Amino acid sequence: MRKSPLQLALQRVLRNRMAIGGASLLIAITLSCVLLPPLLGLDPNHTQPSLRNEAPSARFIFGTDTLGRDVFARVLVGGRTSLLVGIAATAVSILVGVTYGAVAGFYGGKVDEAMMRLVDFLYGLPYMFLVILIMLMFSETARGDALPVFLALGLVQWLTMARIVRGQVLTLRHQEFVLAAELIGASDARILLRHVLPNVLGIVVVYGTLMVPSVIILESFLSFLGLGVALSWGQLVADGIAVVNPIRSYWWILVWPSLFLGATLLSLNFVGDGLRDALDPKART
Amino acid sequence: MIELLALLFGLATLAATAWCPPRLTRVLGSLLFALMVGVVSRFAFGVHVALLAAALAAVLALRFFPPLVLRRVVFLVPALVLLIFSTTLLMYRAPGNPFANERATSPQVEAALRAQYGVPKNASAFFGIYMRRLLVEGTLGPSIKVQGRTVEELIAPAFPVSVALGLLALILSVVIGLTLGIFAGLKKNSLADHVSMALALFGVSLPSFVLGAGAMIVFSLWLGWLPVAGWGSLRHLVMPAFALALPNAAIIARLARSGMIEVMQQDFVRTARAKGLPESWVIARHAMRGTLIPVVSFLGPAAAAIMTGSFVVEVLFAVPGMGQWFVKGAINRDYSVVLGTAIVYFGMIILFNLLVDLAYSWLDPRVRSSDA
Amino acid sequence: MLRTLISAFLVIVASLAVVGLTLSASTGRRAELRFVNSTEPKTLDPHLITGEPEGRIAEAIFEGLTRLDAQSLEPVPGVAESWEITPDGKTYTFHIRTGARWSDGHPLTAQDFTYAWRRLQDPSLGAEYAYIMQMVRYSEAFNTHEAQASALEGPIQNALHELGHSSPGAVPDKAVRDFVSKQHLDAVLKGTPNAALRAFLLRGPGELTQGELGVLATELAREGQRRRALYQEAKLHFGIDGGVYAKDEHTLIVELVAPTPYFLALTAFYPAYPVPRWAIEKQTGRNWFLPANIVSNGAFRLAEWSVGSRIHLERSDTYWGRSDVKLRSADALPLENQTTGLNLYLTGEVDWLPQNTYPAELAQDLRKRPDFFIGPALIVYYYRINVTRKPFDDVRVRKALNLAVDRDVITREVLGVGQQSAFRLVPPGIRGYTPPDTGISYDVAQAQKLLADAGFPGGRGFPKFGILYNTLETHKKIAEVIADQLRRNLNIDVSAYNQEWQSYQQSTRSLDYDLSRAAWVGDYEDPNTFLDLFTTNGGNNQTGWSNLVYDRLLEAAGNVEEFVAAPAFILQHASRAPELERLADAVRLNKEAPSRLKVMAELRLELLGEAERILVHDEFPILPVYFYVIGDMVKPKVKGFYTKLRGSDGATRSNLRDLHPLRSIYIDEHPSPRDGAP
Repeated sequence: MRKSPLQLALQRVLRNRMAIGGASLLIAITLSCVLLPPLLGLDPNHTQPSLRNEAPSARFIFGTDTLGRDVFARVLVGGRTSLLVGIAATAVSILVGVTYGAVAGFYGGKVDEAMMRLVDFLYGLPYMFLVILIMLMFSETARGDALPVFLALGLVQWLTMARIVRGQVLTLRHQEFVLAAELIGASDARILLRHVLPNVLGIVVVYGTLMVPSVIILESFLSFLGLGVALSWGQLVADGIAVVNPIRSYWWILVWPSLFLGATLLSLNFVGDGLRDALDPKART
Repeated sequence: MIELLALLFGLATLAATAWCPPRLTRVLGSLLFALMVGVVSRFAFGVHVALLAAALAAVLALRFFPPLVLRRVVFLVPALVLLIFSTTLLMYRAPGNPFANERATSPQVEAALRAQYGVPKNASAFFGIYMRRLLVEGTLGPSIKVQGRTVEELIAPAFPVSVALGLLALILSVVIGLTLGIFAGLKKNSLADHVSMALALFGVSLPSFVLGAGAMIVFSLWLGWLPVAGWGSLRHLVMPAFALALPNAAIIARLARSGMIEVMQQDFVRTARAKGLPESWVIARHAMRGTLIPVVSFLGPAAAAIMTGSFVVEVLFAVPGMGQWFVKGAINRDYSVVLGTAIVYFGMIILFNLLVDLAYSWLDPRVRSSDA
Repeated sequence: MLRTLISAFLVIVASLAVVGLTLSASTGRRAELRFVNSTEPKTLDPHLITGEPEGRIAEAIFEGLTRLDAQSLEPVPGVAESWEITPDGKTYTFHIRTGARWSDGHPLTAQDFTYAWRRLQDPSLGAEYAYIMQMVRYSEAFNTHEAQASALEGPIQNALHELGHSSPGAVPDKAVRDFVSKQHLDAVLKGTPNAALRAFLLRGPGELTQGELGVLATELAREGQRRRALYQEAKLHFGIDGGVYAKDEHTLIVELVAPTPYFLALTAFYPAYPVPRWAIEKQTGRNWFLPANIVSNGAFRLAEWSVGSRIHLERSDTYWGRSDVKLRSADALPLENQTTGLNLYLTGEVDWLPQNTYPAELAQDLRKRPDFFIGPALIVYYYRINVTRKPFDDVRVRKALNLAVDRDVITREVLGVGQQSAFRLVPPGIRGYTPPDTGISYDVAQAQKLLADAGFPGGRGFPKFGILYNTLETHKKIAEVIADQLRRNLNIDVSAYNQEWQSYQQSTRSLDYDLSRAAWVGDYEDPNTFLDLFTTNGGNNQTGWSNLVYDRLLEAAGNVEEFVAAPAFILQHASRAPELERLADAVRLNKEAPSRLKVMAELRLELLGEAERILVHDEFPILPVYFYVIGDMVKPKVKGFYTKLRGSDGATRSNLRDLHPLRSIYIDEHPSPRDGAP
């Protein structure tokens, strides 16, 4: 029986042990962030100042922070925000960036020039103000909600994605297989979707997996300036670094969120690599 | 409403510059280039020299400039005007104003200050005043929160600092990133590959304030090798340069690895190998170029961002660079500072993207960029 | 390949050359004393300064008629070597010392002060701190009356006209109130003697007939004319032959509207510094205070100001008391990252970390070190309650919130370096001031009962609300703890949320919040600097709260003689009326100047105490949280730095305002261990 390219790709991913491991870990982290807090009745904001800065123990398995809040609860609930912001903002920017970049690179010439000029212009806008304004539009209705943040970040991040895809498509445009497809009279849309896009997916996946951490970090930077959301991994890491210094060090406040952040990003990358290899049209052997 | 229409009209004009016919591009480009040279040299040398320089620039551009550059100039000038206009609209839409203080300011005091600094309550009026200052008076306007100084007086000492630090960071990130990426790409799925990618990931997943603060504790407080913070010697540069470079190095490494894997499967590389050429020659001569394309795409905007400074790194290491003004301008609503930094940043973006486009056609001769 | 390598090499070499050039351009002789200044000063023009980082530098490079002695912080002769005060406490004669000179060699004269004090009040300068010196005759009229007159004659008349046209019959109460607040009528009519207008401002709810509207228009126009006339008079005399004027080059006369016990401390404060007319008028922009242009008269001169790097001060060789100044030079570093500041201190790069320049989270650990000094401060941290929003318009709800917060948890566990829980507004430690009774304590049962009385038994039906704070780690912690306490003690839904600074200010100014964080730093050691906040429509009130008796009490404290002449209204409403009446009688009967002044000062503080009682015993437009402490970290080698004060009366006190004049600081490279008060 002949298998569709998608089935083949899936098969290849499944054969990649690293990708499988990454995907399982990712799913495990996501599920525990979503399910554990309500199941265990964890409250990330319950302050017990008399129990502050407690090292990990049976009662608080990740210890407590400077206000006596349960670090375990905070890491899990913060994970929801970070995962949502990271993935949603990346999805927005991939969708917009890939479409835009592919069209510009494919048509080339004046169209490409005009489209890239607009991208250049948008780069120039001071994005802090965009973020301030977007946050403000939502500030009364969505206190501490992640939606405006990923909107704001996605709107900024797609620019580089568009440039990368466009650069790649410009090279592919003149390769033999694209020219051949054109010769046999395939429509532009068909050429783009069937011949050009599969060849840029690799770089899109790689840059996409890189964008998730940068978005999560950008979000923590915005929180640092008072523009972001309250509870996220980036924010927890920033809180953590404040209590690690030569005067004293409560390492667990920094280490746990960093560990979760790192593990998520690492598994995301293995999944990304697996996907990249699987989707590579030249690897069909 | 009218402001919105003006904005749309401006965007349409920008896109339309792509269809500007070659002859017109040459004339218009030369004139606009002369205007830019005039305005810029006015800051440094005064009106007379500026006029002379502008005339000289016009002639030179008309006679010698390649079309590629002239097209950018035709785009650049209207884009700058539109940038100033749209940024002004954004700033005026944001809550607060540069005269807001912790303690209430009386309406009379605010009116007096607005008149003195040329910041009317209406965005379009401010845009008019700003353009007038820029073109007629030759100044970026006074800063409101750093009294007594104009924006050019704030940027002038800070910009070279950021460029110096940025150049160093850029070199570091390219060297580290390419080495790791190419190495990993060649030994795909080996242990070495996984280790270098994990390293790269480490760089990209730690916020620079964590990286910097950690480095400060280890290298300054424990080991005492490097000064904590400040500016003035090469030793002061080490930690901020690495803090700036590592996240970018990580991205470059991953992009290079992926590009390498892709290129090594391409027909021309296989052909070269089949011809029996030595592996190192194949890589250097054929594969390198393909690998570099995504890296170069990323580097355009990234280099502009690195060279105009990073707020976090500058604040952490007390570097008197330009990054602080992007954030402080916005936080304080110091309108002229916001516009001044936006103009510089935009100039850098255009410059580096031009370099990227030049690099494309050099890296892959088949790329017929519209400009070539 | 070779070509590529060569070009890459060339690029790298060129880049490194740029780096080298930039580095070599930056210089820096290290100063004897280096300290961290929390931010870059906005300005060094003494009349435009409002903040601590600016004040620290200005205090070193300028000097007023008096200066504060480092060990007692009491006023001692500065530019003036002596002074006399008339028995009624209203006229001061200062004798300028003959040795006083500007840094460019100009002799410093009485005329420099008349110019400076007139400049401070000049409406076109827009000085925020002008109000602080407005006990000087003519100054208020010169500073505010022209703008008020223009408002009264122009926009206010127009608005009134529209108000009349908006409804054919009587104007509804709401429209009248909107008109009053939109036109800032309370501020514009401040202190008016016009009986009709005073009555209008004090009127109860009700409509306004067209006839009354006409009368109001006439009276407002008349008040406008009166203010314009006063402005004209002040313009003619202030700084020339009235208010403040020079009898000769070395004699300065100052006339006050009312006796002011702390006036000599004010003359040591930066709004009262002299400024060099010729140097200011030479510049067109506001840049006379940059190193290249500045002329100053203090113990130090501004040698270098590199934005983002440092301000470098060097000992002045024209200062009259230069032989007493031991410190040769000082660097102020504008470091915004507190961790970096602390690390610089720990590696010996800086010698002094003032308050707010090290991470507050570490204070509990830092206080164990011998070089960390901590003491109470004249700062209160509180939450505003927006009384214009339901259900916070109900005083029972406001009191319930106040009762449901356990402040001790915050001061002991969250902050934990000796901050005091606040149940009042005015910080403790102000001499002569007896704090009033307070209705605030930690009493959850009573809070729940009050909430039930207000219609929310067990918190049911209470709307979800937010606590707004501007983004900062400490504010976040406190807001989250308080939100958590309210949630659990009252069973209501509270969340804490933050906004960046400008948005936060906009929200609080436009009353777009439920509860919002605030703090106030006392400008001078007197309850008035705190209580003044909550006058009706006061610029820093920002709660929408307004109380007639409160306003009258503050007016009375500002002019005790007027109160003594007509005490009826206040006595009718005061909780300690007999005591006030006794003091008022004592003032009226006592004709002997010094003891009369003393009784007046006592009466004044009583009046202020009554006012504070309204805030924290009856009305609760605020939720006080805690009183600050300030801590400095300073190396043992820094001497002449006083964390505990010793007054001229021999009593020890706290350095409430964290003032450490550089003039008396010196470096001892081989210090003996420091005790609390070196």
